[in-house]
Amino acid sequence: MKLYRWGAAIAFVMVFRFSPAASAQTKPPAEASKAATSFDPHDLSGVWFDDHPRPMTVMQRYWAYKFTEGEPPMTAWGQAQFDAAKPSFGPHAFPLAETNDPVYHTCTPLGFPRIFLYPLPFQIAQTPGEVILLFEYDSHRHQIYTDGRAHDTSLGPLWMGDSVGHWEGDTLVADTVNFNDKTWLDRTGHPHSVSLHVVERIRRVDHDHLVDDLTIEDPKAYTKPWTAHLPFILKSNWTIAEAFCEDEQSFEAIDDKAAAPAKK
Amino acid sequence: MRSFLRGILVVLAVILSCFSTAFAQTKKPAEASAAASSFDPHDLSGIWNQSHPTNLPVVQRYWNYEFNKEEPPMTPWGQAQFDAAKSSFGRHTYPLAESNDPLYHSCTPPGLPRVYLHPFPMEILHVPGEIIILFEYDSLRHPIFVDGRGHDEALEPLWMGDSIGHWDGDTLVADTKNFNDKTWVDRVGHPHSDQLHLVERFKRVDHDHLTVDITIEDAKAYTKPWAAHLDFVLRPAWTLSEQFCEDEHSFEDFDKSGTVSAK
Repeated sequence: MKLYRWGAAIAFVMVFRFSPAASAQTKPPAEASKAATSFDPHDLSGVWFDDHPRPMTVMQRYWAYKFTEGEPPMTAWGQAQFDAAKPSFGPHAFPLAETNDPVYHTCTPLGFPRIFLYPLPFQIAQTPGEVILLFEYDSHRHQIYTDGRAHDTSLGPLWMGDSVGHWEGDTLVADTVNFNDKTWLDRTGHPHSVSLHVVERIRRVDHDHLVDDLTIEDPKAYTKPWTAHLPFILKSNWTIAEAFCEDEQSFEAIDDKAAAPAKK
Repeated sequence: MRSFLRGILVVLAVILSCFSTAFAQTKKPAEASAAASSFDPHDLSGIWNQSHPTNLPVVQRYWNYEFNKEEPPMTPWGQAQFDAAKSSFGRHTYPLAESNDPLYHSCTPPGLPRVYLHPFPMEILHVPGEIIILFEYDSLRHPIFVDGRGHDEALEPLWMGDSIGHWDGDTLVADTKNFNDKTWVDRVGHPHSDQLHLVERFKRVDHDHLTVDITIEDAKAYTKPWAAHLDFVLRPAWTLSEQFCEDEHSFEDFDKSGTVSAK
């Protein structure tokens, strides 16, 4: 059993941040037979990790900090929020002491969909009435109810939103609303409001590959809906590790300790 | 399903339940139909919440802050830790500003087994190779690997420990070790060291009821293993809520603001 460790994750992040060196995640020909392995497209279970191409320049690796290579179509309000953001990461990074990234100084949750941009895996647990994405980072949970229920309008605004889903053929369509406005949409400061509405089309394309096509809609922040494509690869010998952010282990504290792997 | 066919099946079910030697959940006659709901004792899935007698005065409700009414058998080291604990809750409370409860001033996880003492539900999921318990409180997870693997000796000390399990008849036996020493065993400050070893025995006793018997062993803190018993009832209409502790909403801030509305 191979365990994905918190310390390794920090090192992984550092590689993205500072080094053009790439860890090879390309698919050699020997894996072609694996792709032909039979699978049930309605079974999404397993441990999944993002499957973007690795051997690219740092600047091309937009997926390390945002969802699309280009800029999303922001409203005036959205643009103002974005201009005020001071990320600690990406091409417009500010010095760490100046960043106003809500997750940097404290253990504020990343929320949804930003959690997808953090380079740790997730596990999909599937039951008759739910498809649950269990993210390794800080116990984030994307709980998609597939039992036919409607959105719960009595819930207060949520970090991860309220998600309901249904199958359209081999695609799980998940609809998420009811977000709070305390998170950034991504790691570089693109905004969202409480009107954020995310539709995902999740499909297991073969035994080892899953894709999630997101449509992001937020009329306060964006002039029109825009889409993002997230590819994932199955990691059948990985286990989701424990990865808590608590005060002594906020990103700020980790950086203060000169990026030493955080042992918990 | 057509009502006629359903009617036939109901009649068959009643006849079978009357004659089955496996039918063993009889309770009061009024509850017979509920308790007689068929269930698979190897299926622990669902949302469960602890059930406690409700007709006791507050001071007798030890389950709000510790596992037993009696003191566990502490070693001198254990007793010293307990004496130094300043809980904000339970029988020997301190003013909040003086509490050294690791949960109080920051978002430190409660860990295992303390999470069982926080009065929120849990959801049990069966996935291939694992039985995962999702606690609503602080979104804690208790994954129990039932695929035959041994403990992972290479892991660093964990808040929730490393859990492996197997079925012993109709009882799921989960064995957990490799804890860090940053948590209290309960909410009043009973201690544990990194030698803590938990054995939990989960048994679905009928369709709507689950029991968890915990054996707590820690040679540094306790002179011998001691046990706790928890009762859970199924809550099929409940949903696990989102619950994050983040700095603006640690217990300290809740107490300062006087509200618990913000999440």
